[in-house]
Amino acid sequence: MAILERHQEEVAIQGDELPEILLPTNCPGCGIALQPDELRAHNYVCTECGHHFRLGADVWIPLLADKGSWQERWSDVRSHDLLNWTVPKPYQETVERLLEDGLNEAVRTGTCTLDGKPMWLAAFDFGFVGGTLSIVAGERLARGMEQAASSGTPYVLVSASGGARMQEGVLALMQLAKVNAAVGRLHAAGVPFFSVLTDPTFGGTAASLALLGDINIAEPGAAIGFTGPRVIKQATYADLPPGFQSAEFQLAHGQVDLVRSRTELRPLLAHLLEMYS
Amino acid sequence: MSVWEIVELARHPQRPYSLDYIRRLAPDFIELHGDRLSADDPALVGGVGTWHGRTTVFLGHQKGRSVKERVARNWGMMHPEGYRKALRLAHHAAKFGFPIISLIDTPGAYPGAGAEERGIAAAIANAIMEWFRIPVPIVAAVIGEGGSGGALGMGVADRVIMLENSIYSVASPEAAASIVWRDNARKVEAAEQLQLTSREIVGMGVVEEVVPEPKGSASADYDAAAAALDEALHRLMRPLLQQPSAELLQHRYDRFRYIDSLIQAEPHFGPKID
Repeated sequence: MAILERHQEEVAIQGDELPEILLPTNCPGCGIALQPDELRAHNYVCTECGHHFRLGADVWIPLLADKGSWQERWSDVRSHDLLNWTVPKPYQETVERLLEDGLNEAVRTGTCTLDGKPMWLAAFDFGFVGGTLSIVAGERLARGMEQAASSGTPYVLVSASGGARMQEGVLALMQLAKVNAAVGRLHAAGVPFFSVLTDPTFGGTAASLALLGDINIAEPGAAIGFTGPRVIKQATYADLPPGFQSAEFQLAHGQVDLVRSRTELRPLLAHLLEMYS
Repeated sequence: MSVWEIVELARHPQRPYSLDYIRRLAPDFIELHGDRLSADDPALVGGVGTWHGRTTVFLGHQKGRSVKERVARNWGMMHPEGYRKALRLAHHAAKFGFPIISLIDTPGAYPGAGAEERGIAAAIANAIMEWFRIPVPIVAAVIGEGGSGGALGMGVADRVIMLENSIYSVASPEAAASIVWRDNARKVEAAEQLQLTSREIVGMGVVEEVVPEPKGSASADYDAAAAALDEALHRLMRPLLQQPSAELLQHRYDRFRYIDSLIQAEPHFGPKID
């Protein structure tokens, strides 16, 4: 208990100052007028109601990694159009525009430390084609897991994803097998894998690595499930109850271990990294 | 033939289903039931039969022929219990050293509230991961619809083949249209974009082989379709039976780890593994 308290008291809630993100004027959770700087220093969690704003990989990395410790890997691996996908817009154009916007694929990965403890980190970016699992995303994940397995370095995943990327067809589906095989390597090597599920985590990402953590940690209110609510309604014509597929729903149904506020995440991971070292 | 005509053939109500093939491949087939946790999923059949002189575990998505049977089989869409049953039978096969044949024919895993409540995502995730640890040879064949994670959850194997008029896709054309256009009526366009026919899939290096169907498709001649499937499955299974299990598992890992190697060979894909 004393060690957990030390982590709670001494580990900063973010590793470095977070970049600014686009915010609405008022909190969608409680309607309060947002103070961007205050919010930014509070992990982009509303100080009033606890609403968790969605973050890109560019925010997750400084949030979790100790300042100056991040070493990104394979950032120059690029997606390109394989299936000559043209409708509703050409896939190649979509990918190039997102790259120009400064997003680098749906998963970024690398090594860093958290409270001085080395780890691998992979963060999904929902802003890149809905954080969809693509060949590049799968490749970055599998390579990182293989290296983590052989070096014995803990692996931390932050997911936010709509599932597999339609525009890469069956090859995107095959990424589920590719990354799950690599998760199996982590398990066989006895390397801890902590999975943080954020809003939203669906489809092929939920049905592959995101729910295979040794410990699955969900953010409060995050929508997590296999089939999205729109597709469920189109398929079954059923109305879904409020709170269906929320993090709390998944906790009640045995799919995640913990639902924790983002502001508690870093101290919690620091503590877990110590316990599982 | 148009892409949509192939989709319709893959879904044809008279197309042979898993049990039609299994009973022809192994006439002494005994169906085994249940996941040993809570239920038996009728959308997945499994059991043991003698195939080319060897006891073999057969698994397959099963669709229904009559309206009543379709409902009972849930149109071949598995619930979490189905994936747990599949793994239970895979461990059964591993205990006795029986090879496994997996026949894939599903629009996808069941997209309903009950499946979500009982952890369909984790059930599929776990199945996909566990198949990599089953130390007996596995050959899978897509015989009709290979829909999404629901199909891949039964499709991690040492060799994967497709019948000529079957499809394999990241999502059903309807779901893809719903995701990309927010309109599932645009399924025909989605099917064309997805490149889900057997010829396209084999061209991507995702499956080893396309099995030709009899004249007029598998629906026209069950015996001939089963004979063609049997020949291909047996030819691919035979060499696997000789492989030490460690080597088998390493090759299975590599098969999926580098399944996109044709794409990765493109010069602009980026750095090789360091």
